[in-house]
Formats: sequence, structure tokens, C-alpha cells
Amino acid sequence: MKIDIIDYETCSAAGLNLKALRTSLKHHDSGLIKNNLPGSDLDTWIGIVEQLSDVNDLGRWQSRNNALAALGYEQGSIRQTVSAVITQYGAARVGLIMGSSTSSIDRTETAYTKLDESGQLTEEFKQPLVHNPHAPSLFMAHLTGITGPSLTINTACSSSAKVFATGARWLESGIVDAVLVGGVDTLCLSVLHGFNSLQLLSPNPCKPFDQHRDGINLGEASGFAVLQRSGENSNSSGISLTGYGESSDAYHMSHPHPDGLGARLSMTQALEQAKRQAAEIDYINLHGTSSRANDLIEGQLISELFPATTQCSSTKAWMGHTLGAAGITEAIIAMDTLNTNIIPGSKNLETLDEALSLSIKATDQHKVCQHVMTNSFGFGGNNCTLLFSRSE
Amino acid sequence: MQAKKLTGKIAGIGAWGSYFDSWEALQQLLGGEPLPETKNKGPKPTIIPANERRRAPLPVRLAVESSWQATQSAGLEPDTLTCVFASGLGDTELTDYMCKTLASEHKELSPTKFHNSVHNAPAGYWTISTGTMSAANSVAGYEESVPLTLLEALIQCVTEHKPMLVTFYDAPVADVLKPILSNQETFAFSLVILPVDAEIEGIEVTAEVTAAEQPNWPALQSNSDYITSMYADNPSAKILCLAELIATSNGSKSVTMPLSQGTSVSFTRT
Repeated sequence: MKIDIIDYETCSAAGLNLKALRTSLKHHDSGLIKNNLPGSDLDTWIGIVEQLSDVNDLGRWQSRNNALAALGYEQGSIRQTVSAVITQYGAARVGLIMGSSTSSIDRTETAYTKLDESGQLTEEFKQPLVHNPHAPSLFMAHLTGITGPSLTINTACSSSAKVFATGARWLESGIVDAVLVGGVDTLCLSVLHGFNSLQLLSPNPCKPFDQHRDGINLGEASGFAVLQRSGENSNSSGISLTGYGESSDAYHMSHPHPDGLGARLSMTQALEQAKRQAAEIDYINLHGTSSRANDLIEGQLISELFPATTQCSSTKAWMGHTLGAAGITEAIIAMDTLNTNIIPGSKNLETLDEALSLSIKATDQHKVCQHVMTNSFGFGGNNCTLLFSRSE
Repeated sequence: MQAKKLTGKIAGIGAWGSYFDSWEALQQLLGGEPLPETKNKGPKPTIIPANERRRAPLPVRLAVESSWQATQSAGLEPDTLTCVFASGLGDTELTDYMCKTLASEHKELSPTKFHNSVHNAPAGYWTISTGTMSAANSVAGYEESVPLTLLEALIQCVTEHKPMLVTFYDAPVADVLKPILSNQETFAFSLVILPVDAEIEGIEVTAEVTAAEQPNWPALQSNSDYITSMYADNPSAKILCLAELIATSNGSKSVTMPLSQGTSVSFTRT
């Protein structure tokens, strides 16, 4: 399997677009701030996209989640790239696959604070196309003019990693000639108070893989990539998706498998599909949420499967854990190292967890990478690994 | 590029709703038999351990029950199947619980209800209960959930040569959201779809995607009010047009469903 990445863009607290993210990464400027989300007094840090409050003209499509999708779609050249493939192949031959965990539940939350006296939805919030799990793709189809198949993947925090796997399969089957894949998730009370109920939030800026890490920070993001079969578009980014792995833990709804069996499967599947050895992987952008359990299990697994020459980092201290958007956000950070030749450090790492011995540093490294990976693990024990390579 | 031939073999079927608790019972209703006098209680899928089952929300129990029936009728171990779970509306009762709690002064959420609120909760419970470590997808396509998910499963079956379990489930919508999402029926349906060279008997079905402007849903042969209103309002029950095709070997050979604004997908018995 070889799928070319034609274009990609990302929008998060660490940068309104890819260009800004590159600058934040380079200067180690984190976008995390003390929680100030209206209605929430939880003592934690969040990665909020400040410019989002200006996007309030979406009419019947209005929701914070759709606003972040719209804002992200305006960045870089992604809109032009999508328009070009629509012109070339026709709107019905372009597919759309979005990943999200919250869809637009932010809007449903707001609707419930403004019910009328008899407990009914008020007119402004009667938005069937927004209050449902497919909302991100319904909105993006409307915004882009794509009329080919459009699907939403909701597998919690692996959602927008899995969009690449489904996109690759759609292209391989020939039902479409190009696919816009994306991910979007926004900060809302459901996720803040939900993760708080599981005692997973940190009152401090998160410190993935650190001995003294004490929980996660939540963030919001949107990201997009345009995929095509290899060699069919000469304006490619020079990066290919060469492997993916998808697996289940079969263990617990909200706790990872103690031996990381599911995560091991997804990583080995991705290597097998790309026909690569572990030693050929130059960099892995880890799931690295900064929870005690994830980082310990993932870190141990990495040192079992990969040699010390494979550099690793978690970049969640820049924009927080962006949940259903984390997959594509970190896929973009990983693949972009093939363009920048800079492996981002694992921000906020001071003392590596004593139980771990993987190659992870707080500082950046300059290296011309050939193959990079990224992990995304979600509730329900849902795992996805992506492998990107320089196009040949 | 010309699309690959997307053919799979249906080797197992499961179904559960208020007035049927198996594919056989649903076939009788599709064939014109009158509704039973009382509604079913449950479902209570015994594959989920009792302590977990008590806390499992209705959409989870629906999906797991129907999935279990399909794997049993195919005679296959569940952990050999790659799964795709789909719901058009998700768990609106849990959405309602979360939004009501968060609109109140005390915003403490139940940790169990929170992790059960993810759209992939049925996929999670299924893989945990059956020890399935293969990929489990969880998708949504609003009113087009059924054709999109069938296509996704067939594509995975063909391009990766994997035996698939595909399950659709939608439960009645919570009161507050009823004015905009009208479904009031309980419905789950599962298919085990195998690569055509599998050594198990089944019904071969081929999917084909074609360009179409604003395609419409086909009418059902059934004229039961219960069946037709479920088909209209419950996104998962849109599978009933394919169920009728499978149930009657001497009837129509093909059914065409809307797939997106600009495409439709036909499923043909071969």
C-alpha cells in the first residue's frame, strides 16, 4: 500500500496553522494556559484556541466544534488543494472522513442551559445536523462541496488516526480518487468534567514520561490532510502513508492493557504493512498523555520493540491532549519532521520515569528522517498506529 | 482508477428489536406476520459478565446481543472477526444525562457513565467480552449510516481480505432531543461478512458505487406500520431494505441506497 499525502494543515493552541506550530515547536512555546473555559472552575491547564470566539457566523451549523473545523480549513493551502481535486475528479469522486470524539456535544451542552420553561429546546438550538455524532462530516461536506461518501469515525482518542486507514482503503478500492481526512475536537464541559471524574486531569502543565507527571491537560484542535493513490498527483508533499495498524485491547473501557498487548499489535501491524523493521523507524510521536498508566505502559513497550536509535517524544505539552483530534495533530507533527528535519523534543520532560529506558529527550534533534510513526490510543481499548515515509 | 469488485459473503445475521429477538422473528414480521402482543424486555446479552451488563447502557446491550447472534449463526468465534459498529444517533440517553448534569450547579459526572458515553462503547464492550483484539471501528453517518458502514466493511473485507462483523444499532431518543431526532424505536442488526473464498456458505453480495444526484431511499415491500415507521425514523433500520433482499431469494436481486449527496450504492445478490 502506498498513499501520498498531498497537503496537510493543523490548528491548535500551539499554532493557528502549520507555520505557527512549527515556530512554537522550534521555540518551545507551549499554548497551555490555566483553565478559563466559561462554566468550569476545575484546577487544570488547557490548550484553548483563542481565535475560535470570532467564528460565530455559521447559522444553523453553529457549534464550537464546527467553528474549529471551519477555522482550521481556512489555514494554509488546504482549501485550495481540496478545490483542485474537486475540479479535477468531480465532487462525487472525492471522499470525506472526519474523526471526532465530541462531535458537537459542546452545542448540546449549551442548548441544555437554554431550555425553555417546559424543558424544551429553544428555536436557536433545533439543529438536527449538529446534535448527532456525524456532525463534523455533515458540516465539512457542506463547507467543502464534497459530494462523495462522507463518514465520521468516533473511536474516542484514536478517531482521527483511523481516518488515514479508512481513507487509504477507500482509495485502494477505487471508490474515490482523493480523500479529505480530518479530525476536530473542542474543549467543552463534558470532556473536562468527564476526565476529572476519572481523576486524570493535572493541576499543572503536563509532563509526559516524567517521573513526577501527575495527569493530563485537555486541548482542542482541528487538522486536515488530502490523500491520493501514490503517483497520481505531482503536487504531493513528498510524504507517503506506508503503513497503519488498528487493534483492540480487549481489556477495559478506560484503562490501557497492563502489558500493552493491543498497542503492540497496532505497532507491529503498521511495520509489517510498510515492510519495515523497527530499527528503520527514526522517530515516533508517542501517544504520551502524561497519565501515570499510559506513559508507563507505552514507554515500556517502545523499549521492548524499538532500538535506542529510534527517537521518541510526546508533544502533548504544546497543545494538550486534543482527544479525537490528537491522531491527526500528531500524525502531522510526525510527518512534518520529514520536511523540517527537526525531531521535536518531549517538552516538559525533566526526569525520565525511573521504570523507563527509551530514547526520549526534552531537546530537539536535527536529523534527516526516512520513516516516522505515531501512536493513538483511545477509550474502549481502541488503538491505531500510522507510519509515514519519504515518498520514493 | 476503476473500482475493485466489492463482493462479500453474508454468513451470519443477528437482529433485535421491541417485537423480534432474532433474525428468524424479524423475517416473520417482514413476511407479514402480525406483531406479538407484548414487547420484548431486554436485551440481556449473556456474553457480557453480569456485573458489567447491569451497568451497560441500552445501545451497548443491543449491539452486543445482535453481534453475538450473528457470530453464532455463522458458527465463527467472535475473536476472529474485525468489527465495524455504527449508530446514526449515538447514545442520546447518556448525552441527556451529561448535558443535564453539566447544566446544573453540581457538575460531578459518574466516571462509568462518562466512559460509557463514547460512541465506541459497544465496540469496547464487545471486544472486552469476547477477547477480540482485532480492529474495532465505530462510525456514524446520520441517515446514511447503513450504506456507509456496509461499504466500509465490504472494502475492508476485500482490500485486507478480512472476515468482518458489522453491527447497526439505534435506541429511542431522549425526550429533550425528540423534536429534532425523532426515532422512538429500538433496533439492532448484525451481519458477518466473509471474503468470497471463505469455506463457509453464505449469500454473496456485491456493492457498487455510482454517481447520483440527491438519491432517495427505496420503499420497502413490507406494509407493516411498525416496520415502515422504524425504517423511516431509525437510522439503523435503513438496513431493512437489504434485509428484505436477503430474506427472499426469489424476489428482487438488487437494492440501491443513497450514499451521499452525489452518490448511491447498490447491493446485488450474485
